[in-house]
Amino acid sequence: MCEKTTVIINPTGLHARPASDFVKAAAKFKSQIKIYNMDSGASCNAKSVIMILTLGLANGARVKIEATGEDEQEAVESLIALIDSGIGE
Amino acid sequence: MFQGIPVSPGIAVGRVLHYAPFVPQKWDKTVQDGSQAQELIQYEEGIQAAETELQSLCDRLEKSDPEKAKIFHAHQDILHDIVIDEEIRAAISDATSAQEAVYQVFGRYAAVIAQGADPVMRERSADLLDIRARLLRCMQGQPEQDLSSVHEPIVLLAHDLLPSDTAKLDPDKILAIITEVGGISSHSAIIARSYGIPAVLGVPNAVSEIRQDTVVIVDATKGEIYLNPEKPMQAAYLEKREVFQKQQEVTRKWLSAEPVMLDGERVEVELNIGLATKQELDASCHLDGVGLLRTEFLYMGRDTLPDEEEQVKAYTQVLRAFEGKPVIIRTLDVGGDKKLSYLNLPVEENPFLGNRALRLCFQHPEIFLTQLRACLRASVAGQLWIMFPMVGTVEDIRKAKQLLKQAQQELDQEQIPYADTIKIGIMVEIPSIALMADLAAKEVDFASIGTNDLTQYTMAADRMNPAVGHYCQMYNPAVFRLIGQVVSSFSAQGKPVGVCGEMGGDSLAAAVLIGLGVRRLSMGLSNVAQIKKSIGMLDARRTSEIARHVCGLSTADGVEQYLRQQLAEIL
Repeated sequence: MCEKTTVIINPTGLHARPASDFVKAAAKFKSQIKIYNMDSGASCNAKSVIMILTLGLANGARVKIEATGEDEQEAVESLIALIDSGIGE
Repeated sequence: MFQGIPVSPGIAVGRVLHYAPFVPQKWDKTVQDGSQAQELIQYEEGIQAAETELQSLCDRLEKSDPEKAKIFHAHQDILHDIVIDEEIRAAISDATSAQEAVYQVFGRYAAVIAQGADPVMRERSADLLDIRARLLRCMQGQPEQDLSSVHEPIVLLAHDLLPSDTAKLDPDKILAIITEVGGISSHSAIIARSYGIPAVLGVPNAVSEIRQDTVVIVDATKGEIYLNPEKPMQAAYLEKREVFQKQQEVTRKWLSAEPVMLDGERVEVELNIGLATKQELDASCHLDGVGLLRTEFLYMGRDTLPDEEEQVKAYTQVLRAFEGKPVIIRTLDVGGDKKLSYLNLPVEENPFLGNRALRLCFQHPEIFLTQLRACLRASVAGQLWIMFPMVGTVEDIRKAKQLLKQAQQELDQEQIPYADTIKIGIMVEIPSIALMADLAAKEVDFASIGTNDLTQYTMAADRMNPAVGHYCQMYNPAVFRLIGQVVSSFSAQGKPVGVCGEMGGDSLAAAVLIGLGVRRLSMGLSNVAQIKKSIGMLDARRTSEIARHVCGLSTADGVEQYLRQQLAEIL
């Protein structure tokens, strides 16, 4: 298992479009991937748009990505990089 | 004739098209063991059909309206969501029918998202319900009734319109909209106004009583609908429609005009805003600033107080849009008619005379200080002025300034920057402070007159109580006399005084206010063009004569009559 934390920097948080882009990126990996809202403690499958929306990740929220599987290292690194890039916003 | 609520002005003559959004047939909740495979096929075929519809919708919108296409791309992603898919499949294998499974699972997540803290994310709940309706319809093998395939211009008649219905509207093909439900702030009304489509909502039984293809006149300036009008009447309304459209054009031109009187004197025209909409922010270039930023909207419709960061963000957005023009932030004004459930405020016998606005903030200094800190921190993004509401005494002013100073000292200690050009002002809405205006002016940098509350407190008539509605007289000479006194006191000390109540956006009252010496008027966006037009047709000398005459009249009716007669040409 591999994990890493960061902070959401998108101005409007991880809402519909950035969440869609994030999920598409996550779906490319074979590993099981979870995303945690560190402020509320809630977590969900990082490959589901709906579940990510229920986490309510606003700007400034602290998140953790946790992956388990053959490409876990790469999955965590690339998803954290995506969040840190502002997901195109 | 049918009567409804006119929500988007205009006139149209045309044939009625009935639009009935899909109502799913009833289904069995469970199925017999052994038919799960069949249910699964129904679900998978439904998904496929819905995907095909969404894809062709996106392809078409991609060219005409890429912003709308994004909405339906998002719908595609949600349709294929893996968690929802897993849960629906699990329910089906437990002998739930496919339709019931779709209904339950989408409904459950829509409910969860609807409770989120972030308003942008809460809106996604409506998308989930929209997708559910599409999927259920596809599973029942029903075709989509598609508003975008309308070929000739029609009058659209529906019980109600959903976001996905209106997203596909082609404004060139819709002459007018009639619905049975809804009102001035409903989704359909907002869409109709943004497209400039005449709309009459809240017409009871319209769907059952107005048949498809009936020729109707829709007069959405009055909310009237006439069925099967004779030719001469049709012609008369077509003419009215033309006159109306010409007027609209003239008004639109005034929106961007500079508000200068005939004698060359400039009047500042500012905006009243709550949750700033895109339209309001886009109009910033035609305005002199924000005369009233109501902050209570940040606090309402939620379960917890907004924190400092959230407020900084909201204020900064407005300050940036107005690029260095003054933005007057009014500190929290709740109590009275505006309640916050999470504060557990006791019910008061006379809420308007009770613990509201500044009084409430003094009792909850932690809430007040959070807001003041947020204002100070946002101030680096533009020209921020802070205004305290419900000031009754000079002590109120001193106490509020003391708390502002405390917030400044806190930020100094934390080495957080804020602008040193912030102006501090008061809302004049209680007669006691209006009468003390000469001394109050020494304590502050500016004042803004809140005419709605000043009227109700001067007239001792609760503006929410219809039984005394006729006592709440905006045109009462007493109110104008009091305003005149406030304006003279502040002007004598060279301190700006504006008006941000309803009067500021009322052409008749605005002429009197200018006559009393007011040179800053703040109003809702919808009044800006009309007021700029009025300003352009007045001059300072004429308005002072009008104001002098008004203050000498004895009744509100007399004032209104006189103004209507004097100012007929500017209305």
